[in-house]
Amino acid sequence: MADLAEIERLIGEALPGSEVEVIDEAGGDHLRAVVTAPQFEGLSVIDQHRLVKAPVQHLMDDGTVHALSVKTSVSG
Amino acid sequence: MSDPEFKGRVEELIRDNQVLLFMKGTPEAPRCGFSMRVVGVLEQLGAEYGALDVLPALEPLREATGEISDWRTFPQLYVNGELVGGCDIVEEMFESGELAKLVGVEQPEDAQAPEAERILPGGSQQSPPMQLG
Repeated sequence: MADLAEIERLIGEALPGSEVEVIDEAGGDHLRAVVTAPQFEGLSVIDQHRLVKAPVQHLMDDGTVHALSVKTSVSG
Repeated sequence: MSDPEFKGRVEELIRDNQVLLFMKGTPEAPRCGFSMRVVGVLEQLGAEYGALDVLPALEPLREATGEISDWRTFPQLYVNGELVGGCDIVEEMFESGELAKLVGVEQPEDAQAPEAERILPGGSQQSPPMQLG
């Protein structure tokens, strides 16, 4: 079972100044990350998603997180 | 490290198909809800697309796409040789009309990302599902 707080922490540390919310959509391994961050300024949507996924990729690789849908917006 | 020959075949697939979907399962029988939703979007667009079932070679394909596009999760949609993204991005771009524009088809009226229960795969897709190796 994925630890939502841990995932929020990992993403938050990778993106200082961001607001991160991770929601469990279906019993622990389908998650949704909603992230607002200044680092997204000027980036394509897919690059914004890459920034969110990078710090938790290892959890997807080992199966802890089966799916992570991502919603991003620029803060500031 | 991705095997160079395998990675070359993956790059070839991306080049040779205007729209290419790496998915879990096949368009007729998707094996994951997100893959099913992307198929649903492509069916609504009425665009021709190629589809590759990643399940028989999941780890090698993760490595290959990780190196090619810095993206290791599936489904993944490529249009005109570039990664568009996974299900969430595809659905957003579909509803906004950006995806139709990118593919070069008319935006369907009433374009709405399908909900899982309403998908009926096997519509206008022309190319048969393909296999690597």
